[in-house]
Amino acid sequence: MSDISFTLNGRPVSYGGSATDRLLDVLRDTFDCKSVKCGCKEGECGACSVLMDGKLINSCCVAMGATQGSDIVTLEGFRTTERYKVLDKVFAQFSAVQCGFCTPGMVMAAESVLAQNPHPTEDEVREGMSGNLCRCTGYNAIVNAVLAAAKEGNGLW
Amino acid sequence: MVNGFYPQNLDEALDLLSKHDVVPYAGGTDLMVQDKPNQTYLFVGKLPELRNISEDDEYVRIGAAVTFTEALASPLVPQFMKEAVSRIAAPAIRNAGTFGGNLGNGSAKADSVLVEYATGAKICVASVRGERVIPVERFYKGRKELDLAPDELILEVLLPKLGIDDYYYHKVGGRQALAISRVSFGGLLSVEDGVITRFTCAFGAVSGTVLRYPDLEAQLVGRTVEEARGASEKVIASYAERMQLTRGRVSAEYRKDVCLNLLGDFLASKGI
Amino acid sequence: MHNISRSVTKKDHEPKMSGRSVYVGDVDMHGCLFGKLLRSKYARAKVLGVRLPELPEGYTYVDRTDVPGDNNVNIVMDDTPVFARETVEYVGEPIGMVCGPDEGVCQDIVDRIEVDYEELEPMLDLRKADEVFFNYEYGKGDLDAAFAGADKVYDEEFQTGYQEQAYLETQGMMAVPEEGGRMFVHGSMQCAYYVHGAVMRVLNCGPADVHIHQDVTGGGFGGKEAFPSILACQVAVAAHKCQKPVRVVFSRREDLEFTSKRHPSLCHYKAAVKDGKVTAMDIDVKFNGGAYTTLSAVVLQRGIICANGVYNVPNLHVHGRALKTNTTPTGAYRGFGAPQTYFAVEMLMDHIARDLGVDSIEFKRQNLVKKGDATSTSGLYHFDVPLPEMLAEVDQASDLLRKHKEYSKPQTGRFRRGIGFSWHFHGAGFTGSGERDMIKAVARLHKYKDGTVEVLASNGEIGQGLRTTFPKIVAHELNLPLEKVFYDHPDTSRVPDSGPTVASRSLMVVGELLRRAAIKLRNEWEDGKDQIVEERFKEPDFMIPFYLDKFQGDAYPDYAWGAQAIEVEVDTLTGQAKILGAYASFDVGTPIDYNIVMGQMEGGFLQGIGYASIEHMNYDDKGRIRNNTFSDYLIPTTVDVPNLNVQLHVREFPDGPYGAKGAGEVPLVGAPGAYVEAIEQALGGKVSLEHAPFTAEDTIKALAEEDA
Repeated sequence: MSDISFTLNGRPVSYGGSATDRLLDVLRDTFDCKSVKCGCKEGECGACSVLMDGKLINSCCVAMGATQGSDIVTLEGFRTTERYKVLDKVFAQFSAVQCGFCTPGMVMAAESVLAQNPHPTEDEVREGMSGNLCRCTGYNAIVNAVLAAAKEGNGLW
Repeated sequence: MVNGFYPQNLDEALDLLSKHDVVPYAGGTDLMVQDKPNQTYLFVGKLPELRNISEDDEYVRIGAAVTFTEALASPLVPQFMKEAVSRIAAPAIRNAGTFGGNLGNGSAKADSVLVEYATGAKICVASVRGERVIPVERFYKGRKELDLAPDELILEVLLPKLGIDDYYYHKVGGRQALAISRVSFGGLLSVEDGVITRFTCAFGAVSGTVLRYPDLEAQLVGRTVEEARGASEKVIASYAERMQLTRGRVSAEYRKDVCLNLLGDFLASKGI
Repeated sequence: MHNISRSVTKKDHEPKMSGRSVYVGDVDMHGCLFGKLLRSKYARAKVLGVRLPELPEGYTYVDRTDVPGDNNVNIVMDDTPVFARETVEYVGEPIGMVCGPDEGVCQDIVDRIEVDYEELEPMLDLRKADEVFFNYEYGKGDLDAAFAGADKVYDEEFQTGYQEQAYLETQGMMAVPEEGGRMFVHGSMQCAYYVHGAVMRVLNCGPADVHIHQDVTGGGFGGKEAFPSILACQVAVAAHKCQKPVRVVFSRREDLEFTSKRHPSLCHYKAAVKDGKVTAMDIDVKFNGGAYTTLSAVVLQRGIICANGVYNVPNLHVHGRALKTNTTPTGAYRGFGAPQTYFAVEMLMDHIARDLGVDSIEFKRQNLVKKGDATSTSGLYHFDVPLPEMLAEVDQASDLLRKHKEYSKPQTGRFRRGIGFSWHFHGAGFTGSGERDMIKAVARLHKYKDGTVEVLASNGEIGQGLRTTFPKIVAHELNLPLEKVFYDHPDTSRVPDSGPTVASRSLMVVGELLRRAAIKLRNEWEDGKDQIVEERFKEPDFMIPFYLDKFQGDAYPDYAWGAQAIEVEVDTLTGQAKILGAYASFDVGTPIDYNIVMGQMEGGFLQGIGYASIEHMNYDDKGRIRNNTFSDYLIPTTVDVPNLNVQLHVREFPDGPYGAKGAGEVPLVGAPGAYVEAIEQALGGKVSLEHAPFTAEDTIKALAEEDA
């Protein structure tokens, strides 16, 4: 059989390695998507969060074979969108970025929360981001930024 | 392609499973943590035959490759199951993790499996040799030991529909999200004309498999609520005597105390 | 509020937000080698031999025989080996490293190496440990008389566990041999000059032969204070041997198990009370230092100096020891010895009040220090102690005083509530005369011809905002737009040694140097000219000199203050505690950037809550840390707390920039006392709780004790 084909940030790509390889490693090492961070390799921190067919997933817990035919979006792709601009603005306003290591995953989780629910409550934001650990902020700034994005980005989500 | 097979339909999947040493891969959330790159995966996550949620008179049938997120969005899936799967890990894991995977991983901490035990669900498995339907408590033979031949694939979960709306469920994890169950408890109790017709209690994350004790459950069936109230201490004591918990990072004593506390609370919530 | 407090977009916001920041793990590894460590399987053993499999071409094994200089990492002392000596002293101690072009192959080789050990009996019990790394003792007043004249004497032991920094980016370091024999080491770190000194010694070379660069660093919290020196020495030796760049990035398991964490403690308190006042305390503090000394000396110093908390205890005796066990060496973690003793003293005060039948918050207030009182080390509280006002602020936010009374009434039912209160200081900057005698910070400003100004200092941005706050100070004094002033991650070949990024000192100490340097530059400013100005640390002249041999004098010039209340609801069936509210007022002086400081306060506060509640880590009877994954070592998620209610109380420090004080650590330090007091109150106050973290399992045990 041929290589694994999927869409990465809007472009068709293929991968000729093993189907058991981790999406996380392949995104970083083969496709140079270094925004995708490795925090644990066990689905327990969310630093490697990306969108797969529109859904938030931990790329450390996906084997390459499972990406066959799918649509993958990392922050490298998402950062070109209008929605990103809104998140960028509010994350800056709230100083929601400290060490930055969880940030790419947080941004993808924020996008996922707002895409499903453009006007979430605080509890819904917290629930939606509950798989993304941050050790720096205590979460206030991040949660408040996402709530602000919902207001600012009216109509975008 | 290296280390992977991509069947287009169930027959093809079963054929591959009968001929190759492969591990069925649905959501990957457990398999990838095991980190065994030399395995060969049979990618079944997109097989249409495994992706349905349907119902008949008796059962809600949840396909093995249905994700937890999909189940949460389905009007067919009972609330008991939804509550349990809503507490699994976090959204990203629920977006990928599946019912078949939760079963196939063989863990007694699997949150959907607890509900399957509590409700008396059945598991449908298939191979080129045909299909089998197995009660979940027989499907689990022991810790990480399943009644599943190497050529068999988990097809669907048959979740009984009746009498499970009025459930009792509680999960104890180490925190509110991204938490593996330390104890999970599910209970059902039905009363008709003042007489208990059904009493089931399932305990997760306490032993090699989810635990149920049909003979202890029988102590209350056929009794009136009033009689049961008089017997509740004895019933709880009978569980205390029987339950043997496996050791874990969190002590067996604690987990057992919590099990019995929840059992007592469950009975009390039913006026027993 | 001072107008410098107005928040700006952080200078490193864009690259971090967009995922473009390059952490050491993101470096292109083309032509470079990966390193994997061979680690001890035993807590204590003689290493009789290491049998290597046949190494494929391009793969190299490195161990202590490859160290060109001294096989010891310079931290405070020099006992930590780069690679193990004849014996290994803890599970996971690095014995050697396999380097090669493929990381997986390196690991596979490590797994196939056979090490012959002769097992020795390890020491794993802090109570029995008899090898004393550090032993300090100090006191004042007349202890015997105070105890003899007491109305009542209290005697209690308190215990705290490990806490892991759990920065999201694991430890990682890379060494690159440069032309001319110079070694370049870069990676995730807090203290570039600590790494510089350590690598020089190990490579046996001069200061110019090594330079260290801090990469973008994904959190530190103390965990990247000393540990990076060890890893840097290991990769430097490997790169020296291989003559190729070598990088090691730890897996989460390695990081959780084998890197430094907060010292577990055992604190024994004896207190004398007369007429409702604590008149004396006799305190014995034991910290589990692990297998090597690393930072235990200074952690212990800070821990024992605040052992009497924020209370005026005229007769005091404190004995502190850091002891060796055959476990992972412990080290720096935000709070640095203080959270352990504050937990003990806050619980003790709570228990005494309960025994006396008085409200614990009132009892604490009556014993509080004030301006002009002597410190534990016979220095002075030179400035106002703002804690009474801060208590009022916390009360206003949380309804603390009313709830505290209400929840102290007997509760029945499944869910029971409690609210706990604690307060504390955190001494700003290095303990004692460290800034004056050891660090001697130097900072520079480089003004370029185009009028832009670069800050030259060695303090690392680790998320706390230094790349923004340093330039803010300079831009403010120079009346420049913030875009004209910049601060990069330090490289020791370019920046002076302004000291390490530790002890809540960077902004207060180095920020003040930069403020003075900016004033100097303003006065000397010439358009179109390249100019450099420099400032050096000067100790404030009001200080009473500190003598470490006697623990006498001002241990700190000033203090950051914290007051916090935590409200919980305990499920008596499962022991789980839900945090209903977490409220705090912190005084760190003038915030140089409101959002940045609030981010520090909230983040630190949550780490403290985690430490108190769910962050449980321990080792087994073989000395192995079992909580070595993120599913076994649990830190708080978004849904474990509501929005934290934090406010800033500003009591300026005249010698800090615009009145700023140390900020980084204070928000963590007091949380355990408040949390465990809250649990104790919810449980009815019949059982005295004496350890942290206090987990759901502990709650169920305590409930059983109550029933018994």
